[in-house]
Amino acid sequence: MSIPNMSRPSDDAIEHQITYYDGNTRVVYTTENEIPYPDGHLIVSRVDLNSILTHANEAFVEISGYTRDELMGMPHCILRHPDMPSAVYAEMWQTLQSGNKWRGYVKNLCKNGSFYWVYATAVPNVRHGEVVGYTSVRRKPSRTKIAEAENLYQTMRSQ
Amino acid sequence: MKIKMLIAPDFPPERFAGWHMLNTWLQKNTGLSVSLLTPASAKEEDELARAGGIDVIYANPFDATGLIREYGFKVIAKPANKSNEMTIVTKASEEPKTLDSLTKGCTIAMADNKDVKLIGLRLLEAVDLTADDIQWSITETYQAAARQVIQGEADAAFFLTEVFDTLANLTKTQLQVLIQSALGDIGHVVLVHESRADIVEKVQQALIKSIETAEGKSILEELGIPEGFEIMTEEDGEFMIDVITTLQD
Repeated sequence: MSIPNMSRPSDDAIEHQITYYDGNTRVVYTTENEIPYPDGHLIVSRVDLNSILTHANEAFVEISGYTRDELMGMPHCILRHPDMPSAVYAEMWQTLQSGNKWRGYVKNLCKNGSFYWVYATAVPNVRHGEVVGYTSVRRKPSRTKIAEAENLYQTMRSQ
Repeated sequence: MKIKMLIAPDFPPERFAGWHMLNTWLQKNTGLSVSLLTPASAKEEDELARAGGIDVIYANPFDATGLIREYGFKVIAKPANKSNEMTIVTKASEEPKTLDSLTKGCTIAMADNKDVKLIGLRLLEAVDLTADDIQWSITETYQAAARQVIQGEADAAFFLTEVFDTLANLTKTQLQVLIQSALGDIGHVVLVHESRADIVEKVQQALIKSIETAEGKSILEELGIPEGFEIMTEEDGEFMIDVITTLQD
């Protein structure tokens, strides 16, 4: 499923072309503006088996910069930041599809090109023995962990 | 028809009378003879649930996972717009403090509540603190935990927010909130054992309609559930369990 290209949010925004796992591409813009994680909150979303967003809590909607209507029915990768190596997502999906819990540090992209870091834990939603979707819950990461993830992801991108 | 209803022991002491009032009200509005069980500890609650014979449980969300997945209970209702939150406080000072003021080796006082501890530790991840970095001072009551902070014996205290909100003003003015959780999706639930499908409708409807009468409203106020109960579906319960699963490590 294709996601509409982003609009350039500001003159200094950097343009990128992202190619997703299914071959679809999208033009996105990034800025250096970091949105602080909302203290005390969990950022929660659910997707179906095709990674289409079916639920997002208020914290998820607010920090993303999109409206709820813009998010629902969209692939979760609408939040993918170009600084995130595709190998991280590949490993996440492999873990989830094996029926296991996945955890990791993720840099997400907002509608206006800003970004925010999260510590994400995703689990398969098992109902009557069948996986029907996935839930992801994000918590606030420490600056130390963010710095470690930035270094790791930079190394992965350069390989 | 007789049923046994168990109330999780983690409610503030001043709510105790409210649960007895709700019990009387439920009997009047369902025609069921309800025997109320109020275990004094989480251990006693688990022993009662494990022994069987409990029909209805007002359960803590973290215990609900085991009760649903292992003991055959099903969710039927939950308090409307009420989630389980926790608060971390330190001693009040002229300089506003942040969570960063807590460092490795700090002492945290708290009453023995594993859920408050779990949520608190998730909030402390943001400042690189783990359970092993902290010296824990487990107190008999939340009030005792507050005293330890005020007297400088502990650097911070963990509270169930509902309990923190009921502390005396004199106590609260000597404390400063560092952070409060706003988890939203996690709260207490009403469970009925799967073998008692015959009482689900009666209990569910009595709880939902409790807010429609003056007497019911007064009981709900006593319980600290001012917006009453709302129906919770099996899927709502499963979703809450999924969210809780992500918090457990």
